[in-house]
Amino acid sequence: MTSHSNWELFEAVATKLLEGSALGIAVAVIITFGVPVLLHYIFYRAVASPPSSNFLLLGPSGAGKTALVNLLEVKSSFAATPKSHPTHTSQTTTLATVRLPVSVPIASNKYRSVNDPSLKEGHRNQIKYRVRDTPGHGKLRGSQGLSELLSMSTSKDTKLKLRGVIFMVDTAAISEAEALRDAASYLYDVLLVLQKRALNLGKSSLKAAAEIPVLIAANKQDLFTALPPGSVREKLEGEIDRIRKSKSKGLMDASADAGGAEGEDDILGSYDVKDTFTFKEFEDEIGIKIELAGGAVKGDDEGAIGAGVRRWEEWVGQRL
Amino acid sequence: MLESFEILTTSGVVLWSKSYTPVGPHVVNSLINDVFIEEKAHLQNTTNSASPIFRKEKYTLKWRRSKDFNLIFVAVYQSLLHLGWIDKLLDNISTIFIDLYKDQLKSERARVVEYPFDKYFNQQVRELEDNATAGLDSPETPAGVVAARKDPLVSSDNGGPPPPTVPGLSRAQPEAALGAATSDEGSPPQTPDISRTSTPTSNHILTAKGGPGGRVSRRQRKAAIATAYASSGDEKARKGKIPKSGKKLRKWDADGLADEDDGRVLDYSAPAGEEDTSASAVEAVAEDSWGRRTGKGQFVLKDLGDEVHSILENADSEKTKSSAPSGLVGSGFSAIGGLLRNIVGGKVLSAADLEKPLKAMEDHLLKKNIAREAAVRLCDGVKQELVGKKTGNFQSVDASLKSAMESSLRKILTPTTSLDLLREIDTVTNPKNKQATPRPYVISIVGVNGVGKSTNLGKICYFLLQNNFRVLIAACDTFRSGAVEQLRVHARNLKELSTRENVGEVELYEKGYGKDAANVAKDAVEYGAANKFDVVLIDTAGRRHNDQRLMSSLEKFAKFANPDKIFMVGEALVGTDSVMQARNFNQAFGTGRNLDGFIISKCDTVGDMVGTLVSMVHATGIPIVFLGVGQHYGDLRGLSVPWAVNLLMK
Repeated sequence: MTSHSNWELFEAVATKLLEGSALGIAVAVIITFGVPVLLHYIFYRAVASPPSSNFLLLGPSGAGKTALVNLLEVKSSFAATPKSHPTHTSQTTTLATVRLPVSVPIASNKYRSVNDPSLKEGHRNQIKYRVRDTPGHGKLRGSQGLSELLSMSTSKDTKLKLRGVIFMVDTAAISEAEALRDAASYLYDVLLVLQKRALNLGKSSLKAAAEIPVLIAANKQDLFTALPPGSVREKLEGEIDRIRKSKSKGLMDASADAGGAEGEDDILGSYDVKDTFTFKEFEDEIGIKIELAGGAVKGDDEGAIGAGVRRWEEWVGQRL
Repeated sequence: MLESFEILTTSGVVLWSKSYTPVGPHVVNSLINDVFIEEKAHLQNTTNSASPIFRKEKYTLKWRRSKDFNLIFVAVYQSLLHLGWIDKLLDNISTIFIDLYKDQLKSERARVVEYPFDKYFNQQVRELEDNATAGLDSPETPAGVVAARKDPLVSSDNGGPPPPTVPGLSRAQPEAALGAATSDEGSPPQTPDISRTSTPTSNHILTAKGGPGGRVSRRQRKAAIATAYASSGDEKARKGKIPKSGKKLRKWDADGLADEDDGRVLDYSAPAGEEDTSASAVEAVAEDSWGRRTGKGQFVLKDLGDEVHSILENADSEKTKSSAPSGLVGSGFSAIGGLLRNIVGGKVLSAADLEKPLKAMEDHLLKKNIAREAAVRLCDGVKQELVGKKTGNFQSVDASLKSAMESSLRKILTPTTSLDLLREIDTVTNPKNKQATPRPYVISIVGVNGVGKSTNLGKICYFLLQNNFRVLIAACDTFRSGAVEQLRVHARNLKELSTRENVGEVELYEKGYGKDAANVAKDAVEYGAANKFDVVLIDTAGRRHNDQRLMSSLEKFAKFANPDKIFMVGEALVGTDSVMQARNFNQAFGTGRNLDGFIISKCDTVGDMVGTLVSMVHATGIPIVFLGVGQHYGDLRGLSVPWAVNLLMK
């Protein structure tokens, strides 16, 4: 009995809707216009969310990684008076979403005409990218910096895709042998990971591996004792060369017994250790681009905040 | 007094800080490096308070960590002063800060936004300092009081954005009026301070200004104290004042409001209307709080105090609530929920949850031949890290404990700077700059009897020979019969091997038995320098680490031979004793000289029980350089941290 009445009820509703009453028309209109919009939103969210571009920030402790991230964050926040916080030694990694300033050219825009109106719209939707800051302390490098690099560079997930590595160096400290050695050996490890990845990709699949370029950000150029970027490059190349030579002669790890021979993979650059190491040759052989640009996170008080990081932002823009 | 107070995240960004005198960033950095990352600083636990302290230069640091928000609260003060209230301050500030900015800290912009926390902080400092100095008649009281007096002015100067509304605030307001009569410390303390620093007329103004009637008796008492300062204690007070006045002025300058605000605080007789207009002209946003303050005198400050108190009380009551056992039904439910959570994850870990797994973990570590002391400390560290944390999705307590222990082991074993012996030898023997003269690189090897010093020396020698170095072996074991002959055999074998493979060169330097080892070592180094050797390897006599007489000769040895590297050989077989061995040898070389690395021998004999690695590094914080894994010259390996962690966690 109840089912019968329900049926009648349904029938009554259907009749009512088809009667041409105002309610029926309203429901029909809502469905007609609402469903496409709804579908659009659903699929747009699912498909068109652009693969986020990640950049990994590496470098020895005290190079200015956290300060840079904080500066970029503050810059891209809409605060009236941007003021970056002081920083200390990091213990954990952080992920920060940062906006690229409009004035910085983006690689994907290079085919656009100068008069393209979409360039003007840049103000409305600024390009966002993500920077992952890692601690540079010797004990935390392996567990947080390098493993992060490894997982991000090999990950299939587009969300985690790595667009580039920024390796920060304190140019004021690098004139001392100790700091130089520290920075160079870290850079050596980073490049080794990237090299292994590049070689593995070349082996396993023929498709062009999305290369991960490296920017060596020569920080603290504002200081009086800072070395110019050119001589930083020379110093790093020389030191990496020395590391390479001594690594090729060094002892095996205890794990090598179990893991089997890893062979020549462990040496950066060309197999022939006699050659001197330069970033240029490394690029030719392995296909990993290494650039070096000077800048300063701090020390531009009178101008706009963060003027010293402009060249690094341009590099980031070229990778987007 | 307090030098500086900082609130920073574990990622290294300082969210809020206040410094009374400039303290270099390296002080806090070294706290992070030594305590949080390397965990090597042996913290001096003060007798009654459980909180650890860290000393750097002339400063003492105390800290609190908040795990939920990854925050660290650090207080820096001069080691000369004994400030008993710092612990309380840290506790209160951490509670208040987290309560006030809970939402902002959780948001993405946590590292960007400003935290207008100054007045809450000042209120706390003032209150705690007042409490501390109230009952004291110690000679340092005037200085303390002066410091305390300074703060009310500062806090009223700052007048930052209005405080965020807190639920407890409205409820607490009625109490403010009551509390004003009894416990208002705000207005009276200003009297002595201003009378000394600013113009003498201000004193007159202050006394002219009458407080609310209820305060009279207290004011009289305070006035009596103030006059006591002014008359009898004048010299004392000035002495305390002089070094501080400059500091104070600097701070006011930074605010840039000093003069104007002085007038505002003091000049209560002036009509309030004028004050209001000027305030609104300067700062439109804060007009509300300004107006209230000028109208009611010190009541705004009082509200702040009550707000802070209510936050603290809420936190306390919540703590007691959570610790108090609920009824039978409730506990049953929570037990079931806990079980479910254990499977599904998302459980907030408490000390009780961790007790049993931690015990099991400790047993496991002990079975791996880790010394008890090291195992206990590891477990404590992991426990502190985990309590209050949420387990991940579908992660049981055991799993999260295991991953935490793994990362903790990895952290302990990873050296701060990786040692590249060949490169170091290269820089010493072929220096890049012209000033330094080439000299041989000196390595000496020490250890307990029978751990394999000579064998490992032979292995290192072989390794160096492979790299075409000229090596001199110095036989400085002038004590045990057969020691020199043993080395002679090694040298002969190695010489034959090196000539066969046409690499390197090796020679033995010996002076027979009975001589003083330190002198022999010194002569050997000189001989090596004269004959252009690249490396001098010094073998020493084995000695028991608890034998004072034998150990004391090591100091002289280190001074005479001045080795670039001192390696200690420890065997993987040794158990609990490894901690004491490492510690005693590390301290045996006098001040300013420590061990540079460990060689753990006989690793092939223990299978996966390689706990000695952890015990020795734990005791000293000195990295492991080589592992001996067999009887042959080639059986020397570098340490691979993942390998060791794998074995230990298996």
